[in-house]
Amino acid sequence: MKVFKAFEYRRGATILHRIDPRSKLVYLILFTSLVVYFTNPIALLIIFLSFLPMVYLGKISARWSQSLRGSLFFIVFIFIFNFAPTAYYSGSLLDAAVSAIAMSLRFLNLISVFSIFFLTTSPEDLTQSMVQLKIPYDYALTFNMAMRFVPTLSREAQYIMDAQRSRGLEMEKGNFISRIRNYVPVLIPLIISSFRRAELVADAMESRAFGASKKRTSLYVLKMGRGDFLFISAALGSALVLFTVNLLL
Amino acid sequence: MISIDGVTYSYGEGISALDGVDLEIGDSELLAIVGENGAGKTTLVKHLNGLLKPQRGRVIVEGIDTRETTVATLAKKVGLVFQNPDHMLFAETVEKELSFALVNFGLPPEEIAKRVEWALIEFRLSNYRDRSPFTLSGGEKKRVSLASVLCYDPQIIVLDEPTTGQDNLQKTRLASTLAKLNRQGKTVIVVTHDIEFVADFIPRVVVMSKGKVIADGPTEEILVREDVMDASSILPPQLAELSWKIGLSTPSINTEMIVEEIRQILRCDQK
Repeated sequence: MKVFKAFEYRRGATILHRIDPRSKLVYLILFTSLVVYFTNPIALLIIFLSFLPMVYLGKISARWSQSLRGSLFFIVFIFIFNFAPTAYYSGSLLDAAVSAIAMSLRFLNLISVFSIFFLTTSPEDLTQSMVQLKIPYDYALTFNMAMRFVPTLSREAQYIMDAQRSRGLEMEKGNFISRIRNYVPVLIPLIISSFRRAELVADAMESRAFGASKKRTSLYVLKMGRGDFLFISAALGSALVLFTVNLLL
Repeated sequence: MISIDGVTYSYGEGISALDGVDLEIGDSELLAIVGENGAGKTTLVKHLNGLLKPQRGRVIVEGIDTRETTVATLAKKVGLVFQNPDHMLFAETVEKELSFALVNFGLPPEEIAKRVEWALIEFRLSNYRDRSPFTLSGGEKKRVSLASVLCYDPQIIVLDEPTTGQDNLQKTRLASTLAKLNRQGKTVIVVTHDIEFVADFIPRVVVMSKGKVIADGPTEEILVREDVMDASSILPPQLAELSWKIGLSTPSINTEMIVEEIRQILRCDQK
């Protein structure tokens, strides 16, 4: 559950927090593409290192490292499931290790880049920037609310687990199949309460006249400044450098 | 026997939910824990079955240090019923809901059937046996959640906000169920905001504020202390408030005693 917490936005006053979400979106898309495109573990490691100054600038090291620790389980999983089949089919342990490490690093990089983006971008600004990018408001709002309810859902899951453990449920007990079955008493209340909450939110929105006017105006309008152009240029520049490095490796 | 010894707990980021709590709860006591929102009441009771482990200090339940055992083991001794039944109910029928804990604890089928039967009757749920818990009303769900823990007969019973959403009749019934369990030798701990419920039915009260225990003692003594009530932002019992307003020499939460006092004052006036 800590994994979710590591994506929760906290108000901040760093450069990274002040930059327009659209500029950060450019950064996010560029680096996500690079991470997906690269296969060389060294290139992937360099990308990973490039996140460190960002984390430092945004003063989010505590939460970012929390997200990495939270994803450790998945990384072990990814490593094993990439290592075992490759080792089996190619017969080369080295090849298998290299590709498994690359996959793990890729995952680590994706977590990092998204964590940097969401930790420093307020959900309201993100919605606003989507609207200004001409995405229909309904979709932008849906996206915003989905993000907004992730921490709520994870808190709720914690409450439910506490309640069921108090009734003697042992999540870690039994073999693989029964472990999955152990999640039923947690998932059912979680799903039902999510539906209920969705209904409540819909009612609340309607009572506040959601959708009453076709043309919405905004109190705050996001503006790109000089800093944004600098940031985008820096992102483009470093992406280009990384791309070249990857070609040379 | 529960002894809580200098327990500190923080959810991180400098907010300490419990700030050095000491509390002794003897066998077969009936007590209430009251306090403002965020006083640390729920955090404290989560320590009793090991859902939370003390960061400093220790919690000993029936001679067992909670840090050295599992929730599943402690849950057999300490039945914890949470505030929101929706966090608990998941089974297809009320009957299956009630047997969930019993199955988890590995009781034999005859025993399970017997205990479920007892709980259905005790909480007036017999008519709902085959109904889905999700189709029940709020108050009924609350009773199912209580029944689903009390059915496995834990020695210590902890109820978090059991009276929310219950009408007066159900509250009185709950009180008599709790009194009955208490007479059978169970320790019953009620966490609540419902101060009138405490005043009417619970003999000992522990008042918490900002992660600390600020008062602990017999209900009729604690709930009439203006300083304690103020410090914990609890709405005092109406009778206590009445006593303060009239200026009774011995404020009370007992109707008969107050009536008697007022009579005496009136008699004095007539003379």
